[in-house]
Amino acid sequence: MDAAAEQEYNFDVVRWFTVMATVYLVVGALVGVIIAAELAWPIVNLDIPYITFGRLRPLHTNAVIFAFGGCALMATSYYSVQRTCGVRLWSDKLAWFVFWGWNLIIVSAVVTLPLGLTSAKEYAELEWPIDLGIAVVWLAYSFNFIMTLATRKSSHIYVSNWFFLGMMVMITYLHVVNSLAIPVDLFKSYSLFSGVQDAMVQWWWGHNAVGFYLTAGFLGIMYYFVPKQAGRPVYSYRLSVIHFWALMFGYVWLGAHHLQYTALPDWTGSLGAAVSLAMIIPSWGGAVNGMMTLSGAWDKLRTDYVLRFMIMSLAFYAMSTFEGPVMSLKTVNALSHYTDWTVGHVHSGALGWVAMVAIGAIYHLMKHTFHTEMWSQKLINAHFWTATIGAVIYVVAMWVSGIMQGLMWRAYDEYGTLAYTFAESVEAMHPYYAMRTVGGAIFLLGAVLMLVNVLMTVMKAAGEGSLQQARTAAASA
Amino acid sequence: MSSLKEYFHTDWAAMTTNDWIGLTMTVVAFLLMIVVYFYALRPKNRDKLEKNRFIPMDDDAIDSGDKNGG
Repeated sequence: MDAAAEQEYNFDVVRWFTVMATVYLVVGALVGVIIAAELAWPIVNLDIPYITFGRLRPLHTNAVIFAFGGCALMATSYYSVQRTCGVRLWSDKLAWFVFWGWNLIIVSAVVTLPLGLTSAKEYAELEWPIDLGIAVVWLAYSFNFIMTLATRKSSHIYVSNWFFLGMMVMITYLHVVNSLAIPVDLFKSYSLFSGVQDAMVQWWWGHNAVGFYLTAGFLGIMYYFVPKQAGRPVYSYRLSVIHFWALMFGYVWLGAHHLQYTALPDWTGSLGAAVSLAMIIPSWGGAVNGMMTLSGAWDKLRTDYVLRFMIMSLAFYAMSTFEGPVMSLKTVNALSHYTDWTVGHVHSGALGWVAMVAIGAIYHLMKHTFHTEMWSQKLINAHFWTATIGAVIYVVAMWVSGIMQGLMWRAYDEYGTLAYTFAESVEAMHPYYAMRTVGGAIFLLGAVLMLVNVLMTVMKAAGEGSLQQARTAAASA
Repeated sequence: MSSLKEYFHTDWAAMTTNDWIGLTMTVVAFLLMIVVYFYALRPKNRDKLEKNRFIPMDDDAIDSGDKNGG
């Protein structure tokens, strides 16, 4: 059947996005490990301005979110929309424009961010010419997806496509509004917003980038690839409908919970926290829906290493979507905000949920688009354990560090004087920063194993001629 | 009780256009969510929705026209 699909659908662009996602995972994780090491041992930056923490940190976030995450989303959405709609992508040319355009944007980020060219907006650091490029490529990506849906053979649009579509619509809106700026020259612009409005727009974008890009988009992956890999239909379609609409209606209100105890009106933070708590219901509903897809077939986890990635990702999804609302509460936020606890929370979602579900989908795509088994199953298993152990070490280090930080910052003595200086709290963090570097390095090792496995599988497929056979078999079928 | 009344007190006369737009959107989103929950959980709609679970399972059968009976 894969052979027939090979000729019917456009898998070429899917293959390229899949392989590039793996490359960017290694690059993004490597930069992450370097900046983690710089925080533990500042000498690591060698006094070279281009590789200091301030310049590499946005490169790390852009590489993992937009390069790795973007390529993974584009590969999976373009693959699953064809398969669930029974039609080829609406335009091959537009798909290739998206591939090369997106990669050009990534190269632009790699060049400009180390040079210090930044708009200084978190998770949207790229300067205005690149922002315009992102808008054009993103619209082309979305338009091709929507037109493929419009020409589908099936009457119903499967839920994974709804999640991808929700992401596309909301990210267009969020990116355009958040990036509104006045350019003063080719590489410098100033945001149209200022003061508290700028903060509000920043976190309206920041949290919804998490909500609609890193959550909705990757839930699109989950709803197609978990059932496919498990060989069983999703546990409850009705639950998926509620999951989708609750996410779409609810997530947009959350951003203000990043700005508790600031100049923002108090009620906005309360609204953000209240809706955050309400979001536990659909989030856990979705996580349970994904996990229960394996109901009656849990034994598959013993032998299917790819499925392990997906189910582990759902466990992390459930955990981080409980932790986030708890951290949004004002009493908890008073302790957690500005500490490493936030960093730990983000990475429990990023390494545990986003990366693992995408990695599972990438392994699935490698098998089904190169028409051969992965080069090494043992390496997939090794990758699973390095990714899991690395993520856990990282997250635990940041939890301990963050809570200690928060407690040290607000401890005071009997005279009402702060008990610790800021420098003392930094010194206390050192062991955990070193532990975080080790956790990140273990995760990076797993990503390198994956890249080796992916590249060897590409060569294996070329050697066996499996791709050519699939094309030929399809042609004669 | 009086503190609750105080907590929920709203100066309607001071509501700006932005406040009204925000309030309307919030209430509409809330009502739409009720509609979605009612629609998805209504026993009558169960079979209609649940048959779509199988779409990814059937997607190897390409060129078969409408794959979900619509």
